[in-house]
Amino acid sequence: MRKPGLSAARAVLAGSLVQNKARSTLSVLAIALGVALGYAVALITGAAVNELALGVQFLAGDADLQVRGPRSGFDEAVYPRLARLPEVAVASPVVEADAKLADRDDVLKIIGVDVFRAGAVQPGLIAQAGDRLDQLRPDMLFVSSAAASALGVVRGGELAFQVGLRTVTLRVAGVVPGGAQQRFAVMDIAGAQTNFDRPGRVSRVDLRLRPGIDIDAARERIQAQLPAGLAVQRPEAGVAAGEGLSRSYRVNLNVLALVALFTGGLLVFSTQALAVVRRRPQLALLRVLGMTRRQLASLLVLEGAIVGVVGSALGLAGGFVLARAAVRVIGADLGAGYFRGVAPTLALAPIPLVIFFCLGVTIAMLASLVPALEAARAAPAAALKAGDEERAFSRLRPSWPGLVIIGAGALAALAPPVAGLPLFGYLAIALFVIGTLMLMPRIAVMLLAALPLPRGGPPRLALLQLRGAPGQVAVSLAAIVAAVSLMVSMAIMVASFRVSLDAWLERILPADLYVRAGAAGDTAYLGADDQARLAALPGVRSAEFQREQQLLLDPSRPRVVLLARSIDAANLARQLQLVRGPVTLPPGAPPPVWVNEAMLDLYDFAPGKLIELPIAGKLASFTVAGVWRDYARPQGAIVIERERYIALTGDRSATSAALWLASGVNPDELSRAIAGDIPGGSRLEIAAPGEIREVSLKAFDRTFAVTYALELAAVVIGLFGLSSSFGALVLSRRREFGMLRHIGMTRRQIAAMLATEGLTISAIGLLVGFGLGWLISLVLIDVVNRQSFHWGMELNVPWSALASSAVVVLALSTLTAIASGRQAMSRRAVLVVKEDW
Amino acid sequence: MLVVHGLTKSYAGPRPRAVFADVDLSLSAGDYVAIMGESGAGKSTLLNLIAGLDSPDRGSISLDGTELTTLGDDALTALRRERFGFVFQAFHVLPYLTVAQNVALPLSLLGVVAPEKDARVKSVLAGVGLDGRGQSVPRELSGGELQRVAIARALVHAPRVVLADEPTGNLDADTASQVLRLLRDQIKSHGAAGILVTHSRAAAQTCDRIMQLTPTGLHALPPG
Amino acid sequence: MRRRRFLASPLLLLASGTLAADDYPRVLPGQTIGFPRDAGAHPAFRSEWWYITGWVREPDGNPFGVQVTFFRNRPRVAESNPSAFAPRQLLFAHAAIADARYGKLRHDQRAARAGFGLANAAEDTTAVSIDDWSLKLVDGAYIARIVARDFRFDLRFAPSQPVLLEGDGGFSRKGRSIENASYYYSQPQLAVSGNVAVDGRDANITGTAWLDHEWSSAALAPEASGWDWIGINLDDDGALMAFRMRDHAGAALWAGGTFRGRDGALRSFEPAEIRFAVERRWRSPRTGIEYPVAMRVSVGNDDYALEPLMDDQELDARASTGTVYWEGAVRALRGGREVGRGYLELTGYGKPLTL
Repeated sequence: MRKPGLSAARAVLAGSLVQNKARSTLSVLAIALGVALGYAVALITGAAVNELALGVQFLAGDADLQVRGPRSGFDEAVYPRLARLPEVAVASPVVEADAKLADRDDVLKIIGVDVFRAGAVQPGLIAQAGDRLDQLRPDMLFVSSAAASALGVVRGGELAFQVGLRTVTLRVAGVVPGGAQQRFAVMDIAGAQTNFDRPGRVSRVDLRLRPGIDIDAARERIQAQLPAGLAVQRPEAGVAAGEGLSRSYRVNLNVLALVALFTGGLLVFSTQALAVVRRRPQLALLRVLGMTRRQLASLLVLEGAIVGVVGSALGLAGGFVLARAAVRVIGADLGAGYFRGVAPTLALAPIPLVIFFCLGVTIAMLASLVPALEAARAAPAAALKAGDEERAFSRLRPSWPGLVIIGAGALAALAPPVAGLPLFGYLAIALFVIGTLMLMPRIAVMLLAALPLPRGGPPRLALLQLRGAPGQVAVSLAAIVAAVSLMVSMAIMVASFRVSLDAWLERILPADLYVRAGAAGDTAYLGADDQARLAALPGVRSAEFQREQQLLLDPSRPRVVLLARSIDAANLARQLQLVRGPVTLPPGAPPPVWVNEAMLDLYDFAPGKLIELPIAGKLASFTVAGVWRDYARPQGAIVIERERYIALTGDRSATSAALWLASGVNPDELSRAIAGDIPGGSRLEIAAPGEIREVSLKAFDRTFAVTYALELAAVVIGLFGLSSSFGALVLSRRREFGMLRHIGMTRRQIAAMLATEGLTISAIGLLVGFGLGWLISLVLIDVVNRQSFHWGMELNVPWSALASSAVVVLALSTLTAIASGRQAMSRRAVLVVKEDW
Repeated sequence: MLVVHGLTKSYAGPRPRAVFADVDLSLSAGDYVAIMGESGAGKSTLLNLIAGLDSPDRGSISLDGTELTTLGDDALTALRRERFGFVFQAFHVLPYLTVAQNVALPLSLLGVVAPEKDARVKSVLAGVGLDGRGQSVPRELSGGELQRVAIARALVHAPRVVLADEPTGNLDADTASQVLRLLRDQIKSHGAAGILVTHSRAAAQTCDRIMQLTPTGLHALPPG
Repeated sequence: MRRRRFLASPLLLLASGTLAADDYPRVLPGQTIGFPRDAGAHPAFRSEWWYITGWVREPDGNPFGVQVTFFRNRPRVAESNPSAFAPRQLLFAHAAIADARYGKLRHDQRAARAGFGLANAAEDTTAVSIDDWSLKLVDGAYIARIVARDFRFDLRFAPSQPVLLEGDGGFSRKGRSIENASYYYSQPQLAVSGNVAVDGRDANITGTAWLDHEWSSAALAPEASGWDWIGINLDDDGALMAFRMRDHAGAALWAGGTFRGRDGALRSFEPAEIRFAVERRWRSPRTGIEYPVAMRVSVGNDDYALEPLMDDQELDARASTGTVYWEGAVRALRGGREVGRGYLELTGYGKPLTL
């Protein structure tokens, strides 16, 4: 009995997949697209991060431990103390600078080493020189092969850098082989200190411990002896901290790609659910012939598995091609600026490959599971009877599970981040979507009941048909609801972000003209003389200067930014967009600092809290006097009064200036005056607030370009889903259309009926999708973004954009419905009234 | 009223097959004719040709003086809507409509509106013995009841011709004879002409005449 | 394997003639060598070394050679750089053990720029150090502490004789030009005592060693490709030093030597009085370089046959510096009878030192 049953099963299976070539293809493509996007995103970000990690590893060489501190470095006297520690075999001091190239808007990482020490710790950095003394000459550097090709320099060439407002020209003594794809240059540490204005300071000391020393125990002993603001860690910790900055962005991209895959799964679900309904009598026949429920369910899940396997295989190939193209066209950071200077080589990463293959197959199988179980559960006798199709959907109807799941989603949205990632936020979104989809039949019934019944003709018939089959409506809608809600939520989130960013930019740019020492890197600055000259320029009414520094507060996180600027306590709101505070300091309290929202989230620097900051190697006490909005520094930023900063550090240099002009002064003329009258002034980057705003918003749009692309993919899959399920529905109703044609309905009337159905279904989909999207956007704004990037923003709904996309989706889905019905109107289809199934 | 003359049909394709040739048939109002024939003789094809759902290779079909073979699809559809009624073997009662809505479909298509439509539906349902079942849904009905609904639908708009293709193929013998009797009575009482396609001698005998469809045309069979 | 160690070859630095000798103080005849000042470093000069070689043994063990060398170099590439890291003075050190049972040299090296108290060459007396390697003159005796990869020294070298000023009162010519010269003194017959640990085994040893302290700015003439040098402690408490500078053809370009008898009588030799004749060559299986490991050295009328403790005393520093030389313990024989022990140094046999 088993064997004939199974061979019949195989026939049914093969028949179904082959017969419905178009829909099977669509299902395969939907899974392929989801898998391709996921794999491509994983490949690209994985490669970039891997390259970054390789770079850190390469630069760290064989170091067991690294001592790091503020970005600008720390007192070199720490180095001999470390070198003399009994645990330490070799201590290799390093001066690092992201040196601004004089003739282009780019930076080159300068690594100043003591060859005699680095040779034992970072041998990869040491190049063979024609003249060995070139390794000691202060005006010579060795560039990595990646830097050599990127900058187009060869041995014997010259590279000019901007230091302060001066130009420093160094000669290229050779090329460092290896170094993966890292762009950097190595030179003598003394030359690096002198040329790049790091007198008496080192950026890092890499330690190799004596054999047999326990690294972690040594780390603790060494840490205890370090001055404030310095940390000793394993080199891997640097990788983690470096990754930390981009991690949220990468996770968000991956989640978006998974959403595309999820939508693809919904499409498979729709297709399978309807295919099962269409074949109900055939499947019932198999049961009558002796196939068990389990065998039948397995058979149908196997169909999903075939779709999954083919789709995933195609998707992996497509994903690799896509990733290659994306890296070539928009770069490894996908336009977000996180992996500047990294040119990774893509390899067929096996782990993501396996993961996404399994994911694709699993999702396709899960999507087939619900219809499969339903089909297996059906009583064969009843199912054999025509007109029983709608019964298949009655199981999807109870409403409490959906409500429970949505409730669980609401709870998940309240949960804190996990390891800095908004995992519960994502869970909340998933639960909202799943819960809503489960409630779809109920929602469809309610909405359809609310629609007035047209008096007559095809629209009346259409609405009656929809009312009679809310389960089918719900299944058709699953993919489109998911896609629309994603689109709407992303649109709301991006719009809210953009509007808030714009408002913030306006707030932080009150001056008439902004001057920056250098667009990039950390070698350009304005000296005290330069500042005096700027302030004294005719036409400048007043000038404010800002010094940007970076402090290491937590070795496991990226450094936080310290901004020293003049603060007018009486008029604070003009300078900082405070979202908490300002706090009035009690008498005798330590001096104030103001922190951005990231500091509040990451370090719990709440207003009124007493904190200590390692400035100039010493811990200084401060009071958090307020929290300000900041879209620029998700790693955290602290504003300190400039006078206090100078008192603590003696550092009078500045990295940027804000100029207020006397009335009647033309900013363009002043810009020319700055470039002309100040020595080195032509190196200054001068911008009006409008330009800065424009550039910032452009960067913002570029960052979200990939997001838009992923979102579009999800919507396309959603439309696929609608068209696929509509096609299946129409096919399942072809005898009905045949009868209607017999009794005198014209093609146009049938088309009108289908169009009405399509329009109604997509309107419901849009309505529910918009509602769900709005809910998801709240989670994105208040949970996902806040926890990922520590950005607060105000809700802003882009009505006109949403309305126009709604019209597009409505039009497309109506056309889809009509196109699906074309088949039903053919003469051949009219004759199927004879068919009994 | 319905005059079919010299109707010839063959199927094109890789192996062209002649179905029948030179079929002649003439029906007046109140005529009820059974067409028998072996499987594949083209019984259903003949019905489709008469209903304007398929076009013949040769021959003419005229209904009340209108030549069907020269009409376009829209005109044929309008003609069907107005003058034809259909009863199918598989009932084809729409599951998402009530019995009354199903029966009212042809009237809706003809633009007949409320009070008259409801009255005609009520009357025709009474005629087929489904008085008071108008608000039932098809799922609650037996096979015989579903075919009564179909008969009501075929007659509600007072068509000139009712075409029934194996209407009892899905029914048991008792129910079948009831339905056949009902169909005959309804066609007669509405003054329509009827064609019953069947392979059952018993069913055919409910008609006035019995014709045998052969490749060479329609031939009258002796009753009994 | 990847932990290559950078070590600029002192010999290479000595020879790298990118700067004219004029930039450094010149080595002039007629200067007085005075102590303790001249035992210290002379940072103005281009290069300088303190070179100790000796034969030692455990009380009842086989004799073996030890070598401790500190080099100082002034590269003159960053003298005006105010950075504390500026490489004004570079320090290097080699240490080696020549044990016939091991069959080749055990050796290790250190290199650093002077500064931060981590590497230093004092000017007031002999006190050179690189991290945990040091050579210091304490209470009249040299104390060497070396912690190498596979051995450790903790040795005391006590002078038993007065300082020996080489050449003309410490002015030692190295070539035909008067420019090519060094200040050079030796301490023969140093009494060695202390501890040597090899492979984790500590051994108290005694023996006899030789110290050279030499500083110069242009010792190697442009036409020279290397040199052969010996320093022998004679069994009768006498001391013999001889060297020859070779040209690119391998012929002697210049030679010099000093003999101090047991009575303390000093005799300096003219170039013509010194001859090095090759007795036997040995080819290194690693580098393929052939060294004249057994030589006959004629000094005046005296002939010494030099027999190496073992053939393979090659010091291979190619991985870091590209230079390979032979620095080995030798026995000195006259008429087949051993009359003293010391070291033979053979440089420039691979590539010319002038690279």
